[in-house]
Amino acid sequence: MVDVFLGLPSYIVKRSLVAIGLVIIVGTLNFAILHLAPGGPETVFLNPRITPAAKALILKQYGLDKPIQEQYFLYLVGIVTGKWGLSYFYTEPAFDVIAARVPATLLLMVPSLILTVIVGILMGIVSVRRPYTMLDRFLSSFAFFFYSMPVFWLGFILLTVFAVFLRVLPAGGMTSITTSGFDVLDYLQHLILPVVTLTLINLANFSLLVRSSMIEVLDQNYIMTARGKGLSERLVFYRHALRNGLLPTVTMLGLFVGSILTGAILTETVFSWPGLGSLTFDSITRRDYPVVLALFFIFSILTIFSNLITDIVYGVLDPRITYD
Amino acid sequence: MTNSSIAKSRLARASTFWRNYSRNKGALFALIFLVVLVLAAVFANYLFPGDVEAPNLGVEMMPPSSSAILGTDYLGRDQLALIVFGARTSLIVAFAAGGLLAVVGTLAGLMAGYYGGKMDGLIMRCADVFLTIPVLPLILVIVALTTPNLLNVMFAIGLTGWPVMARVVRSDSLALMKREFIEIERVMGASSRRILFKHLLPNQLNSIFVYASLSIPAVILTEAALEFLGLTPLSVSWGFMLNVSIDYWIRGTWWMSFFPGFAIFITALAFYFVSEGLKEALNPKLKRRRESLAVQIAEQKK
Repeated sequence: MVDVFLGLPSYIVKRSLVAIGLVIIVGTLNFAILHLAPGGPETVFLNPRITPAAKALILKQYGLDKPIQEQYFLYLVGIVTGKWGLSYFYTEPAFDVIAARVPATLLLMVPSLILTVIVGILMGIVSVRRPYTMLDRFLSSFAFFFYSMPVFWLGFILLTVFAVFLRVLPAGGMTSITTSGFDVLDYLQHLILPVVTLTLINLANFSLLVRSSMIEVLDQNYIMTARGKGLSERLVFYRHALRNGLLPTVTMLGLFVGSILTGAILTETVFSWPGLGSLTFDSITRRDYPVVLALFFIFSILTIFSNLITDIVYGVLDPRITYD
Repeated sequence: MTNSSIAKSRLARASTFWRNYSRNKGALFALIFLVVLVLAAVFANYLFPGDVEAPNLGVEMMPPSSSAILGTDYLGRDQLALIVFGARTSLIVAFAAGGLLAVVGTLAGLMAGYYGGKMDGLIMRCADVFLTIPVLPLILVIVALTTPNLLNVMFAIGLTGWPVMARVVRSDSLALMKREFIEIERVMGASSRRILFKHLLPNQLNSIFVYASLSIPAVILTEAALEFLGLTPLSVSWGFMLNVSIDYWIRGTWWMSFFPGFAIFITALAFYFVSEGLKEALNPKLKRRRESLAVQIAEQKK
């Protein structure tokens, strides 16, 4: 076995290089997909009856007059320097358009992520403390049912029940029109339904995973040893088994962060939440290529690096993993 | 062995399979449900004769009643008829995209596992790239840039979903390659094609089958999401019915969003149960271990 502390730095360097390679490949793919599409970017936002002089001016302004190789080169340079081009729709830098939407998505995703992980892990633990009982079966089916639901459908049901019939919660949006500035109570009211929706849908990712990995761990010899030397079941469970049983959740967390955009697109559409998800969807339908390219890129990078960090953290937590 | 005894042993195997499968009551009900759904979709024309898409003025957005059990939509059309016709879209995409994903993933995984080395590296890095790009936005872009029709939706879903399948098949192939019977074949000079398709493939058909059925719910949910987002203006589909209901739910027309969504949910759930039943029946060692489904879902996500 390779010494962890000798192998780790070189492993990190190697994995980082692979990650950077992936970033370049993904960036190239993004660029290619959007520019090789029928029509190309310029057919999207130009009025066909525009005069040739005006057309040339606009193309020049957006850098579309240059040869495709040069556009690609400028795109790669631009990514690094934060110059992501002008949005066709907002005629503002794409960077600014996206940056303005980041807080809304974070305000939605961070609470739901925390809630999902905590509730999911707790449910898994409760399940596995009494495996194959009614409670276990109920919790597992509960998580699994929501897992198979379309996220937008659950959103609709909750909206109809709580906003239309019971009228206790607002029907979408992030703030009420009447409030000015940041009103915490108002924000929380708007937050409840989307967060509950996202949490219910994603619970199974963690609860079923913790349950199955704990069942596996509790079956192992070292647990039998711990029981054999007379430790209480509580101590065996929480001190010895839980540590290893929770390892797979680290991987799941890494994957989960990467899938946030997918969840955001659907959830933000249903709840009219003004974040990156609705921006992605709107920009695709408007064919606002600079914004789409940039969003794609950001989320690909987020996925690549959350995977990278997951692998490294996993290695630190689980000394059995060797780096080669 | 004579022909009749081969037939007998096949029959015996089929009946063992069925006994194991039907022991899982959830899987049995799910299968019955799916068979009924497929039949209803196939014979939709006979169940609901006439043009179900034609608007009926005067009965728009009626709640469920004896004349329209699931209510009517914003054009006064019977929602039950629309949902049965919508099953066609869902099931066609589910089977076609699921099949495409399975074929591409299986071939990629077999090649990676059999040839190893550079081929393995190339295929698996390709898979990594696909796993890195956020899938739903990628599919959205593909569908938005090409003509948004059913065929492109199927291709987009099928071509973005293969990497997980490829990983599963690759690791199974790697394990099989170390087995003696493959080594003997190689020593005897069997061709690559023989080893790939006479040994590697048949020996993991069961797990390929199970994983393909396990990927179908995800295909159904993705297809519904695409239609819900309104990028594929298909006249009759569950996702698009939900898309239309966005404009009306605030008036309390719960049936317009509830029933199409319920159809998506229950169909996806049924495929999960069937895949669980298949796995238990094809792999008796795993029988009665329900947690394995969760493990597989977790594995699939990796």
